[in-house]
Amino acid sequence: MIPLLLQNAIVFANILSLMAISATLALSKTNVPNFAVATFGTIGVYITFTCVKIFRLPLYSSLPFCLIFGGLIGVAIYRLMIKPLRERGATREEIMIATLGLDIFLIAILNIYADYLTRAFKVMARDFTFSAYDFSIAGLNGVFVASTIFFVATMVSLHLIFTKTSLGIALKAMGEDQSLAECQGINTDILCLITWFIVGALPAAAGVFFPVNWISNPTVSLFIVVSVFASCVLGGFSTIYDAAAGSYIIAMAQVLLIPYLANIVGVWILPYGFLVALLIMILTIVIFPKGLYGLPWNTIGEFLLKLFNYVKEALRVKA
Amino acid sequence: MIPVPGLEFYITLIVYILVFLIITLSYNMAYGYTGIPDFGRAMAAGAGGFLCGLLPGRLMFYLLGFQGDYLENIHLVIDKINAVLSENPLLSIMLLTLTVFLGACAGGALGLLASLPIFRGIRLFYLGVTLLAIQIGFNTIMYHWPVLLRGELGVPIPDPFKWLIRYSSPALPPGVLRLIGIIVIAGVVLLITIFYLTSVSRSPLGRVLKAIRDDETSVAALGRDVRGLYVKVMVVSYAFTGAAGAIFAFYQGYVVGLHFDRVEWTFWPIAMVILGGLANYKGTAAGTIFFITLKRLIIFYKANLEPILPFSPIWLESLLLGLILILVLIYRPRGLFPEKPEISLSREEIERIREKIKRKRSE
Repeated sequence: MIPLLLQNAIVFANILSLMAISATLALSKTNVPNFAVATFGTIGVYITFTCVKIFRLPLYSSLPFCLIFGGLIGVAIYRLMIKPLRERGATREEIMIATLGLDIFLIAILNIYADYLTRAFKVMARDFTFSAYDFSIAGLNGVFVASTIFFVATMVSLHLIFTKTSLGIALKAMGEDQSLAECQGINTDILCLITWFIVGALPAAAGVFFPVNWISNPTVSLFIVVSVFASCVLGGFSTIYDAAAGSYIIAMAQVLLIPYLANIVGVWILPYGFLVALLIMILTIVIFPKGLYGLPWNTIGEFLLKLFNYVKEALRVKA
Repeated sequence: MIPVPGLEFYITLIVYILVFLIITLSYNMAYGYTGIPDFGRAMAAGAGGFLCGLLPGRLMFYLLGFQGDYLENIHLVIDKINAVLSENPLLSIMLLTLTVFLGACAGGALGLLASLPIFRGIRLFYLGVTLLAIQIGFNTIMYHWPVLLRGELGVPIPDPFKWLIRYSSPALPPGVLRLIGIIVIAGVVLLITIFYLTSVSRSPLGRVLKAIRDDETSVAALGRDVRGLYVKVMVVSYAFTGAAGAIFAFYQGYVVGLHFDRVEWTFWPIAMVILGGLANYKGTAAGTIFFITLKRLIIFYKANLEPILPFSPIWLESLLLGLILILVLIYRPRGLFPEKPEISLSREEIERIREKIKRKRSE
């Protein structure tokens, strides 16, 4: 039996991972720092809301809709905003500001949509949860099982795509140097479209799981965005594996550490939960700015091996 | 019947324009001139604004020798302080000047802290992300920590313009003289800002900042301390914004940890600078005046917009902000008033040098 708090931490880690992978892909493959990534997740929340409350579909059957619509929104954003900006030679900072503008625009649209749902269908489209729609299996929450299966499936699929297919190799080449990739005859426009489909689809899928455990509204992204970026910075904004590892560390620290500290120092600490993510992010930038990706893993491995052998030897001598 | 804005609307508009001009002009120095993608500007304004909630009330509380807990009796205490200030114009002006100055210092100190990651040689994109996150953390602490600003209750601020009421006349709407007082202090700070920033932009330092923005590595290769300059720009720019935040807090008369949010105090100033034109103070001023007037008009005509729009007018501001930012960046990235090429020597001087070279060659 897995304790409920740990289940919740893993669900949050899965949600963060999907968003952090999206932000990392956008930056590493298409050189776009996407500040609207958490709001893509809120789009998923409202696609799920529409499926569940308006079309009366089961909660997890909204997952394919989130993937498809989220992906299409990602493609539309690439076509209408990112591509024109890149064509006129916008700097990375300008694209970053444009995604901030997009974030504000999308939050306004989501608010308008929430107003419309409330007015037209007489449903509470703000501050809702879907915990009542979840199931339980062998003492485990449905959201824990579903989000973990989806996360593992996503990681395996992306790993296979990036390592075993020519598409993955072409994406890697584009991430290294777009002009050189084009010289090799790679159609980078198609690759960018595919990347942005994934960039839109993954956070939207995370939007299916988020409202099960946490209260959701159109501005919920404002509270998650720090954790998402902390995960990306900790991961090093380089590979999907580092992004996922960063997300798991941040989520565990945020969901497990804060209630533990609350038991010791008092409940006043609870509102500062996400400051843990912020603190980890600052420490990462100050101590190892390249994140987990930039750590000297060979040296660390050798050191750990030496330490292990030393401890083993010490124990043997003692025995 | 469409209502026509009255005197109070225009005076409030001027207050907003002056306060935001200080912020956008100083932001232009950081982003337009130096290329620092500063997404924590709200934090600088908050440093000054929150200091107004923290300092002047407590200072007067101890100076006047009041007894009891300051925060528990805050409304009563501030009423008494205001009564004293209304009788003492000199004390009011001193309190105002000191607070605005300390607000600038607080902003500058925060600018120094915020720019510390630069010393680690992080990419500017990382700095943008970090500042955005730190700003959210800053507001959270201000909002939830009751010792500072009573948490979600917020605190009233002493009114150093109270003494102006004695010069009021029945012909003027109530509070107009107070607003004029705020305009005067904001105008003075704005003039100092303009003087400093135009001096920098016309000096060799201004050209170095632009060179850093265009090619950081080349400037470093020429022996300039690029990271040091980044930090100095952040400190000065944050200090001006801190002063603006303090003035705005005095205008509001009340401060809560949720004030100085990122949309209003970071994203709007970014949009104003980008629309007006980077590294061009006239453009920045035009962008600021345009956006502030638009915002105030939307607020003023909210009730009239309600039946026309298919959605609530409260979302109109965000919709426009997002759309304008994206469209300007796509179609007019250099803004309405593009940056002019910098010529360090006058045209006559260039011609004189050219003639001199020609003469030497012919000899």
